[in-house]
Amino acid sequence: MKVSRLSIVAILAGLAALVRVVFFTPFEAIQGPAQKIFYVHVSAAWCAFLAFGLVGLLSALYLWMRDEKLDRLAESAAEVGTVFTTIVLITGPLWAKPVWGTYWTWDARLTLTLFLWFIFVAYIILRGAVDDRALRSRYSAVLGILGALLVPFIHLSVYMFRTLHPKPIVAKPERPSLPNEMLVTLAVCVVAALIILGALLRARYNYANLRDAEIDSGGAHA
Amino acid sequence: MPDNSGYYHAAYIIAVAIYVLYALSIRRRAAKLRPSRPA
Repeated sequence: MKVSRLSIVAILAGLAALVRVVFFTPFEAIQGPAQKIFYVHVSAAWCAFLAFGLVGLLSALYLWMRDEKLDRLAESAAEVGTVFTTIVLITGPLWAKPVWGTYWTWDARLTLTLFLWFIFVAYIILRGAVDDRALRSRYSAVLGILGALLVPFIHLSVYMFRTLHPKPIVAKPERPSLPNEMLVTLAVCVVAALIILGALLRARYNYANLRDAEIDSGGAHA
Repeated sequence: MPDNSGYYHAAYIIAVAIYVLYALSIRRRAAKLRPSRPA
């Protein structure tokens, strides 16, 4: 089976980020090794938010232009964003346990992120449940826009509510409050995660195109 | 410094596993559609 050039770049970028985290980034003195979960957790969260932002934008464009390509791209971004959010929801508790003393707490950011995940799982289920393609695209576009609206709210939730989750230390108007060494590692991880996001999105979009072409030509529904 | 490296290793192993399994799932679905055409 052929592997695309972008997929190879994504694998290499992922490996480079892992090497940087494991061998070239110091342990944080108070939290210890568990603090390194930060790099995979934050980069996955930013990519998930980007993917869901894309879903919102593409869904709005679909409702305006009714172009099926936009719908297929939104569908792909939603699925890839859900995968990234799954990583966020698993790595977060694994970091929280040694640092907060609990895997989970029902505070605003954690609860809203879980809610966002449920919305996009519902989006995927909805797409599988409606047979009429135009109707499915319209319903999921509306749900996609509503889900995407939650993203800025999640980012600001740490300012709006009292929460265990720390306030942003990088994505804020002021200078990032992170030592340069850790900031570089975060940048490497974010770039790697963005390339992985691009590769997964392209592969998923190609699959959606292939599937719809198959259905249009009267082939089997996968 | 606390020794909590088990959480750190688990987080990275699970994250990499999810990325790889998802990429493979896309390939598998595409291959099911048309075995002769790559995804």
